[in-house]
Amino acid sequence: MPDSLVDLLARSVQLRPQAEALVQAERRISYAELWSGISAVAARLRRCGLQPGGRVALLLEASPEYVAAYYGVLAAGGVVVALNPAAKAREIAVWLRHSEAEFLVAGAHPELAEALAEGCSCRFLRIAELNTWREGPGVTAEFAVPVGAAAPAAIIYTSGTTGSPKGVTLSHRNLVSNVSAVVEYLRLTADDRVVHVLPFHYCYGNSVLHTHLAAGATVIIEGSLVYPHRVLERMVKERATGFSGVPATYALLLSRTDLGSSALRSLRYLTQAGGAMTPADIARVRALLPQVEFFVMYGQTEATSRLSYMPPEYLASKPGSVGIAIADTEIAVLDDDGQPLPAGRAGHICARGPGVMLGYWCDPEATKQVLRAGWLWTGDLGYLDVDGFLYVQGRSSELIKTGAHRVSPNEIEEVLLALDGVAEAVAAGMPDPLLGQVIKAWLVIRPGAQLDTREVLAHCRRSLPLYKVPKQIVFTDALPRTASGKVRRAALAEFDVAGQED
Amino acid sequence: MAIEAQLRNFILKNYLFTDDESFLDDNDSFLEKGIIDSTGIMEVILFLEQEFGVRVEDEDMVPENLDSVSRIAAFVRRKKAAA
Repeated sequence: MPDSLVDLLARSVQLRPQAEALVQAERRISYAELWSGISAVAARLRRCGLQPGGRVALLLEASPEYVAAYYGVLAAGGVVVALNPAAKAREIAVWLRHSEAEFLVAGAHPELAEALAEGCSCRFLRIAELNTWREGPGVTAEFAVPVGAAAPAAIIYTSGTTGSPKGVTLSHRNLVSNVSAVVEYLRLTADDRVVHVLPFHYCYGNSVLHTHLAAGATVIIEGSLVYPHRVLERMVKERATGFSGVPATYALLLSRTDLGSSALRSLRYLTQAGGAMTPADIARVRALLPQVEFFVMYGQTEATSRLSYMPPEYLASKPGSVGIAIADTEIAVLDDDGQPLPAGRAGHICARGPGVMLGYWCDPEATKQVLRAGWLWTGDLGYLDVDGFLYVQGRSSELIKTGAHRVSPNEIEEVLLALDGVAEAVAAGMPDPLLGQVIKAWLVIRPGAQLDTREVLAHCRRSLPLYKVPKQIVFTDALPRTASGKVRRAALAEFDVAGQED
Repeated sequence: MAIEAQLRNFILKNYLFTDDESFLDDNDSFLEKGIIDSTGIMEVILFLEQEFGVRVEDEDMVPENLDSVSRIAAFVRRKKAAA
């Protein structure tokens, strides 16, 4: 097996150097051009003194520059820390400090100056000066610094809490094995063309990007789904063969575009991950596009991305299942003591295999909680049927899934508690037909303090990106707590009756 | 009230949580400034349909029509003139 994503990409460059690797608006970047861009970034980083294992943070929108920077860091032997470009300075500074990033590669970003000023010692490199798209060195991976397949390649932050930001640390082997397994079951080839609307810095978008580049395919970067009609036009015009989305993506396309009647003749496959999509919506997509294979998939950042997929031919006979384990990966359902449960019995979904992360960056305690006795404990609950198909029934973890985003409630609470007059705060996900979940917050105000919903939301908007701002705020006299004083999150859903809705 | 003023109020109140008009210029791009995301745009469309009685078709959903206060106002006027 190749050692790194750079080796996988090198094969695509050798196969068809003039083929389109990336398309964005009017820009078309060939594999040869991409390779030269990567070489330029790697060479520059090494001249600046990057050593193998050094962390390089990226604060870049989905773009060809992002891709060149990502592979450039890997080629130079560094560890990529791709940050959410929608993040606020407070979050960015937390991640830069926690990862001890030596470099930050960014373009123009409104929060940049403030983030850099907040006590981190990393060096800022402007992407425009880092990158060149000239035809560079020949097609060889010789410039790559060999660090070994077991070495860290990337850190993906899943929360930006000041106290305990969680940085999922992935090795080169994690990335290569997970990418290879997905390429295999989606049967991706150099003739595929995927329209990419997901954020690059999350594990799903990251996976879509690297799998298609490893296959020598074309990635058409669309950036966002704010204008769904435009995305569909793009798919037709670019003769897309593939498309990937979360449940909210498909809900939007179903409600605001003419998915069935359009000229999507080239389309071969659709993939869906990032939370449960309703069987009704899956059926609607399949009825509109009967010739297209629909892949339901399941996984998490801690497993690089993918853990299981549903072979499309079983979609009708196994409704609600997220499928079978991907290549070289084992999925088990264990009881509280770590003992395997028989088919049909619900318990903790656990996994082992080459995609399971090295751990959380600089956090052995948090790592110990999820990597136990050789298994990754996903935090999800579910069961396996007699044929080994997995069914997910719920989450034991508190992470809120809203649209394509994962939000830690602690992060919202931390921001709310920083507001004058707030004595107690708790946030949780509430069911939403479009987004899966939306964020709701309950507040207890200090005696004598005066706060209204608008002031609370304006404060959140200053400290949090839009998708983390609660959709609903409830003022209440007290929060439901256990005897030991912990907030009972499970009780919050029924709590509204007693609480005062603003 | 002019269409522009109504729109500005709606955006300021629901996405920027303020009355301070200096936070939003009529020509500010909602996307570039990160003011509205894909769910926000659906709420804006609902507002346009309810408040101004125009129907926003799927193919009307392009940044040329919806990405700033000025663009939306021009779009609403075109729609009303055509109705």
